[in-house]
Amino acid sequence: MENTLLELRGVTKRFGDATALAETSLSIHEGSFVAIVGPSGCGKSTLFNVIAGLLAPDGGEVRLQGELVTGATGHVGYMLQKDLLVPWRTVEDNITMAARLTRRVTSADRAEARRVATEYGLGDFLRHYPRALSGGMRQRVAFMRTLVTHQPLLLLDEPFGALDAQTRLDMQQWLLQVWRDTGRTVLFITHDVDESLFLSDRVLVMSPRPGRVVADITNPLARPRDMETLTDPAFIELKSRIMHLLHGGAS
Amino acid sequence: MTRKLLRNVGVPVLSLLLLLALWQGIVVGFNVAPYVAPRPWEAILSVTQNWSTIWPLALGTIRETVYGFLIGALLGVFLGVVMAKIPVLQRSVYPVLVLSQAVPIIALASPLVLILGFSITPKIVIVAWIVFFPVTVNVVDGLSHVDPDLINLARVYGAPRWRTFVHIEMPATTTPLFSGLKIGATYAVTGAVIGELAASEGSSLALYQEHANSNLNAAAVYGTTMVMTAIGISWFLLVVATEVAATPWQRRSVARHYPWRRARSEASAATSIVSSLSKGES
Repeated sequence: MENTLLELRGVTKRFGDATALAETSLSIHEGSFVAIVGPSGCGKSTLFNVIAGLLAPDGGEVRLQGELVTGATGHVGYMLQKDLLVPWRTVEDNITMAARLTRRVTSADRAEARRVATEYGLGDFLRHYPRALSGGMRQRVAFMRTLVTHQPLLLLDEPFGALDAQTRLDMQQWLLQVWRDTGRTVLFITHDVDESLFLSDRVLVMSPRPGRVVADITNPLARPRDMETLTDPAFIELKSRIMHLLHGGAS
Repeated sequence: MTRKLLRNVGVPVLSLLLLLALWQGIVVGFNVAPYVAPRPWEAILSVTQNWSTIWPLALGTIRETVYGFLIGALLGVFLGVVMAKIPVLQRSVYPVLVLSQAVPIIALASPLVLILGFSITPKIVIVAWIVFFPVTVNVVDGLSHVDPDLINLARVYGAPRWRTFVHIEMPATTTPLFSGLKIGATYAVTGAVIGELAASEGSSLALYQEHANSNLNAAAVYGTTMVMTAIGISWFLLVVATEVAATPWQRRSVARHYPWRRARSEASAATSIVSSLSKGES
């Protein structure tokens, strides 16, 4: 049996009168790729912010590798739809940003940034400023910045939400490749059901008012996945099941 | 490249020449008496002919402008940072700063001279007084508009606040900071001249002009004005040049090689040449 990397026990979060997150318990296996789908206002981002330590929950606890990290920061990789690259730093220096923000950047950090960038197709852009890059390239740099933090858990909040369909598909395949190579655990927020099924081992479906997990679905689709996956009958069936959950459909 | 040079330098120079031509046209066209307004050429000549007198005076004005600007800029950044970081101070100090700028600076100049004497000090104080304000306002605005997601990202990494400040907040404020500095730079020389006028003793560019004025020497009055303006423009351009040098990412797509990293990339280039040679042989 795989090891549990992340465990949430009875986590709740309220903003005033609104329950952003009703009591939630979760357990995420090491090395897994878990997608979270849900409409806006379902508490996905609140859940992420609690795990990342940006928000202290009103109740419950967060454990990472068994260690209590409720309300503490500095233990996950984190990436948003906004790439949050700083315009005054080159690609290489953006990748080493986490090191710069926590300690002195070493030549080993730079060497690793160059290695990762080269390995994943941005080796020729190390000295470029972000303004010279396309949206897809910027998101890749943002992901590399997340990767070199060496955190075992990566929280990705709709990272490809702002990209066009073609770039998004390329990025999804690229992400799966990096995930395979590095063996990290990924929690991936999206509102795109196709994306959640294409990427994940497991899909958590969330629902608003109050924000909560309403279904925990194992995704049995075989890997590696490609364009064919998107038309696989099993894929269609899962998709329709999740769609019904999301839209409260009569089934 | 030459086109760009033509546009960036040629056009401003041309508009300056047009301004002088307009001046010449009005003075000649309306037959203005030379003691009322000189022709541009006469004004320029009065400066070049008295250069040995004017240059030391101009040097004094430059010194007041530069020292006052630097002190004002440092003070402005300090106040901006402190106010942005401590909300209580922002609420209490901001009105006082606005008040300081609402007081007509000319009304302040004479008491300052009385307090600080005829030295360079009151002039520096006046220049700093004018310069700090736009810098403070822009730094406060800049710091309070840094993307909160970026600051959250730093928090997720576990960054201490001072590192977030140094590596995220301050660099993100570069553009508004330089806006404040540029506004300050244009006004700095005015402050210096006001200070010189208020002192009404000793030798200075402003008093040289006063003297010329009482002698009905319009050419020297206008010539001195041109010198003062030239000081202001030069200082402004120097600030702009500093901004350009400090913010390469706003114009360049690719960073220049950092000198301390060059050795490594040359070494790797040498390696790749060697490896391509050895491939060629095999």
